[in-house]
Amino acid sequence: MTSAAGRLQKAFLSPAAILMLTTLAIPLGVIAAYSFMTRGAYGGVEHPWTLENYTRLFDPLYGAIFLRTFWISGVATVLCLALGFPLALFIARSGSRKNLYLSLVILPFWTSFLIRTYAWMFLLRDTGLINTILQGLGLIHAPLPMLYNDGAVILGLVYGYLPFAVLPLYATLERLDATLLEAAADLGANPMTAMFRVTLPLSMPGIRAAAILVFIPCLGTYLTSDLLGGSKTILIGNLVQNQFTTSRDWPFGAAISVVLMIAAMGILFAARREGEELL
Amino acid sequence: MKRDGHPIEIGRRRFLGGLAVGGAAIAGACGRGRPRLNVYNWSDYVAPHTVSNFERESGVEVRYGTYESDQEMLAKVMGGNSGWDVVFPSAEYIAPMRDLELLATLDHTRLPNLTALETSFRNPPWDPELRWNVPYMHGSTGIVYQNAVSPRPTSWANLWDPRLGGKLTMLDDAPEVIGACLKRRGRSINSSDPSELRDAQADAVAQKPLVRAYLNAEVRDQLVAGDVSVAQAWAVTAAQAIAAAPDKLAFAFPTEGFPRFCDNVAILRESGRSDLAHQFINYLLRPDVAAAIVVTTHTATANGEALKLLPPEIRDNPVLFPSAEILSRGEWFVAQSSTSQRLRDRLWTEIKGS
Amino acid sequence: MKKPLAWYAVLAYAFLHVPLLILAIFSVNSSRFTIWEGFSLHWYRAAFVDRDLIESAANSLVIAVFATILATFIGTLAAYGLWKKTPSRQGRWLHSGLSGSFYLSLVTPEIVTGVSLLVFFEWLFRFLHMRLGMHTVIVAHVAFSVAYVVIVVMARLRSFDPVLEEAALDLGATEYVVFTKVTLPYLAPAIAAAAMLAFTVSIDDYVITSLVAGVDSQTLPMVIYAMARRGVNPVLNAVSTIVVVALGTMVVLSERMRSA
Repeated sequence: MTSAAGRLQKAFLSPAAILMLTTLAIPLGVIAAYSFMTRGAYGGVEHPWTLENYTRLFDPLYGAIFLRTFWISGVATVLCLALGFPLALFIARSGSRKNLYLSLVILPFWTSFLIRTYAWMFLLRDTGLINTILQGLGLIHAPLPMLYNDGAVILGLVYGYLPFAVLPLYATLERLDATLLEAAADLGANPMTAMFRVTLPLSMPGIRAAAILVFIPCLGTYLTSDLLGGSKTILIGNLVQNQFTTSRDWPFGAAISVVLMIAAMGILFAARREGEELL
Repeated sequence: MKRDGHPIEIGRRRFLGGLAVGGAAIAGACGRGRPRLNVYNWSDYVAPHTVSNFERESGVEVRYGTYESDQEMLAKVMGGNSGWDVVFPSAEYIAPMRDLELLATLDHTRLPNLTALETSFRNPPWDPELRWNVPYMHGSTGIVYQNAVSPRPTSWANLWDPRLGGKLTMLDDAPEVIGACLKRRGRSINSSDPSELRDAQADAVAQKPLVRAYLNAEVRDQLVAGDVSVAQAWAVTAAQAIAAAPDKLAFAFPTEGFPRFCDNVAILRESGRSDLAHQFINYLLRPDVAAAIVVTTHTATANGEALKLLPPEIRDNPVLFPSAEILSRGEWFVAQSSTSQRLRDRLWTEIKGS
Repeated sequence: MKKPLAWYAVLAYAFLHVPLLILAIFSVNSSRFTIWEGFSLHWYRAAFVDRDLIESAANSLVIAVFATILATFIGTLAAYGLWKKTPSRQGRWLHSGLSGSFYLSLVTPEIVTGVSLLVFFEWLFRFLHMRLGMHTVIVAHVAFSVAYVVIVVMARLRSFDPVLEEAALDLGATEYVVFTKVTLPYLAPAIAAAAMLAFTVSIDDYVITSLVAGVDSQTLPMVIYAMARRGVNPVLNAVSTIVVVALGTMVVLSERMRSA
């Protein structure tokens, strides 16, 4: 490669490098630094360097919040995979109409996440549509409290991230060699066995990608738990937001952010496999 | 969309960046010729035409933003660089904001309408000379409830009733929630005693299973719709909700005592528009303007002259203007010391997180 | 296996689309409660009269357009630069540092990106005499959407045969000409798709924008969020329907253009 090419390449990478340095590396560095400082009385940071923000995280209260976040994210991920896999399978096997069906999945994904969360507020309220219908049909006498609990948050997350799961699953299933399934059938496997012994194992890369694409954003979710959890379901994202606004403890918020990032990076690295790079 | 990979991107970026700023300036402020004033107020605290009438009379263009809590406002203005000119802090925030050098002193010569203030608000305990702020609207915190709820809530202790499960909301405000817990045990809302505060925190955590959500003024629509049965709410929110659903809702001043609040107008030190800001405050102090606000928003004004202009059904509204006997049970919020503030903030995180 | 799978697909599609359809239906309900009281467009009228809504929508569009242009430009260049591996030591540092930072950007939760940018801007503004505004929002949007652009363009680059570039070089073209006349046309659909992605992500962002927006830069999601916090509101239904239809139309049109 000529040096002119090297220069060109550096020129191409420079704007991105400057951007990422100033908007990612340095700010995250500042946050990491803040996590070792002390809070000001009404916000901001002050000097005594301290490890207190990290040791405070050992309090079982925060451990519970982390656990709850992991739990909710895990359930949402599993549901997305379980609901998304058959749908992806259907699309992959629908022959000529593949693109149409795929677009129908992608379409909600393109529209506002915030609005889609609001849609569930509208449906799940005590005086919302679902309760009105159920009461109108005489199936229940008092409205079911469907909003402002963990279940509503999980529902909101699944609804929001299902397209994220379907896409990689579809990508893998679509590339699946149909002759393998024919071979399995020839060897006497019924469709169920073929599914579990052939299709599923071969779609593991897609399943892993889908799991990561859903789980990691769920870990840091803020909007869904804020609007559908009724500020009672405190997840890590809400906890961080609290520290930077009403509780005025920036260093503590910074410490939580650092821990959250390390957890997310750890999961990403643990789940990566050779040849499955995104970048 | 063709992308030209020419290596001189820095120049192009700067150009686009300049375009962006220029475009933003154009897009963000049409009618750039007129002087501007940025006002940051609580939601539903002015009448529909208050701001536009001021714009018409003064020729000033007003950007009017709203917030739902003092903490939200403080978080935005703390940097001293927020862009707002006029804000409406509650009484207990005046002293801290003054100490943080966030407020500008008021020039009474530019506020001739100050005389319209009610006598009890001319020398308020948090700013006796009105150097930093002008009282705007006041009220109390109490309990709003659906008439169907039986027995009717009359005290803070009633908010721990297990039968309320899931239909109760509390304010999303640390001093208010902690205050209610403290009052329930007969203590002062301004207590800085760590053991009393820890008791309050424990009580709040014990109450949490019954709490549907922590909401401020947002709860009003849900009360009217019937989603919420009982709510800890500001009298303003209560009056607005009751006005929207007169037969369904009622308000109670808790027997153990309750906090009183007063929201005040103040000018931020960072503001370069002191003249316009004073003009706006003077405008708000006009009795007819204040009365118009009260009539549409159901708030209790500190403007004595405006009170005389109000129709009797509002002047005698017990929610907004309770009797002296009830008011005697009220207690003003006072600014906390920084140690106490830190403890309270921490306890609030723990309450919210449990 | 086909029949039950098809039934399942119908249910899944219903789950994905019905909630939005319901929002739309109730946006033309004359009553503000969930009982049908007749067809009415007055909530739409109320939405168009609301000064805040219109201004924030305009802000959102301006921000999205500028952020999309910048992010697509920077991201496309970066993807191409990363695709062409380089043997030089310096180049490799730049290369792995940059791709590492893109991973980091994807993995960082929005709230952390938001507060870190807020903290950084506030610290920076103590030296420059600036404050939060449209420019900070645009910078923030570019920051978090570049990684998405890189992924989309990179995916397309993976299926591009480097032989084509080499052939052009052998024929005497400079690196620059090779890029603009050979590679870029091939990348065009991916660049368009990446731009659409960057645009949608920018228009919809709430968390990061709410933290770094200034007095004059309220965006549509911020207004929608404030309305949603207050509970259900038919005007919000109307706004939601408009946004969904607008974005959906954009997607459908771009799909049509691509396959045409």
